[in-house]
Amino acid sequence: MSEQKNRRFGLNRTLAIVALVLGLLAIFGDPYQGHVVQLDTKELATIVEGEVDHVTVQELADWIIQGSADYRLIDLRDETAFAEYHIPTAEHVPIGQLTDYPLQRNERIVLYSGGGIHSAQAWMLLQANRYRGSYMLLGGLQSWKDEVLFPALPEDATPQETAEFERTRFVAEFFGGSPRSGVVDAGEQVAVPLPKVEMSAQPVVPKRKKKAKEGC
Amino acid sequence: MNAPLFKFGLFGDETSLVVAFVIGIAFGFFLERAGFGSARKLSAQFYLTDMAVFKVMFTAIVTAMIGLFYLSWAGFVDLSLVYLTPTFLWPQILGGLLLGFGFVIGGYCPGTSVVAVSTGRIDALIYGGGLLAGIFVFGEAYPAIEGFVNSSDMGQLTIPQLFHLPYGLVLFAVVLMALGGFVGATAVEKILARKASES
Repeated sequence: MSEQKNRRFGLNRTLAIVALVLGLLAIFGDPYQGHVVQLDTKELATIVEGEVDHVTVQELADWIIQGSADYRLIDLRDETAFAEYHIPTAEHVPIGQLTDYPLQRNERIVLYSGGGIHSAQAWMLLQANRYRGSYMLLGGLQSWKDEVLFPALPEDATPQETAEFERTRFVAEFFGGSPRSGVVDAGEQVAVPLPKVEMSAQPVVPKRKKKAKEGC
Repeated sequence: MNAPLFKFGLFGDETSLVVAFVIGIAFGFFLERAGFGSARKLSAQFYLTDMAVFKVMFTAIVTAMIGLFYLSWAGFVDLSLVYLTPTFLWPQILGGLLLGFGFVIGGYCPGTSVVAVSTGRIDALIYGGGLLAGIFVFGEAYPAIEGFVNSSDMGQLTIPQLFHLPYGLVLFAVVLMALGGFVGATAVEKILARKASES
């Protein structure tokens, strides 16, 4: 009995010494990995090749309609363009301020610019900074206008296309756009005025959800 | 393979539930094995006659802290992907007090009460009923107290950030606190045991 007790005390002491030594050594370290990054270019290429680096405008439209709060939408264009029109729920962040902007690494971040170049560059920047959940809006704001706000139904549309267009019509009207049917040339320039956006002084930040975690 | 495994996409949502189930069962099992399925053992903590709760919890904190520190230092864990509970100072102080009162009165904390229910303890069943009633009351009262619940939001704050100290130094200080606490707790246990045997 007493021998068993001694051995148990021995184990406790050993563990205490191990903890003390590891604690002492830790004084000289930092668990966070700083700003210098190591980039796995092969892994990045795989992501791009697999086309899992973007979300489509239809997907984004669905999230907004559903009132989903598990993404951050970042508008990378300049201030005037943002004031004129932006996709609902978007936050305005110029590309130069992106790395200092308070984003969490475990958030889903969707980037968009006018076309696609700036958002692709910003995506690369975020990926390099280990923001694994960053995505580009495919086609940028141009696609949003063409496919969500002012979708076009070609004159020679198949019945299936026409059926799908009915759903698109609902989405377009939700965002204040208007669908166009019977269009001969789907690529024509949109001359319809963009829907008005109410500008708030503060960027629209999706409400943070509280997560409860019990310790014991 | 790097951790956190779920955040790096090693498995999807469905698998994560299975993993959570396995971890939860293991957590409950070890709580029971430590004797924490017994309200007597747990409330002895508050009378300072048995400091097992303090020792087990502080050991868990120190083990996880040192483990995470070195694993991330070695590059196996990306700490920036680990979720930190945001600090809402006053609501959390009040919540902590409520939990403490419930713990002393009922003899369980939420986790251990579930463990005790699973081994069929009747007092734990009653405690569980109170727990569900509390959740219901909170839910119903939420519109009235929402402002307070979300007040004093300090974000995802850590002690090193708050006091501008190096992470390693804070880690070392916590290890010293734990070791000092273990020695002190054992001393208190011995003194109270002697007093009990004298009277």
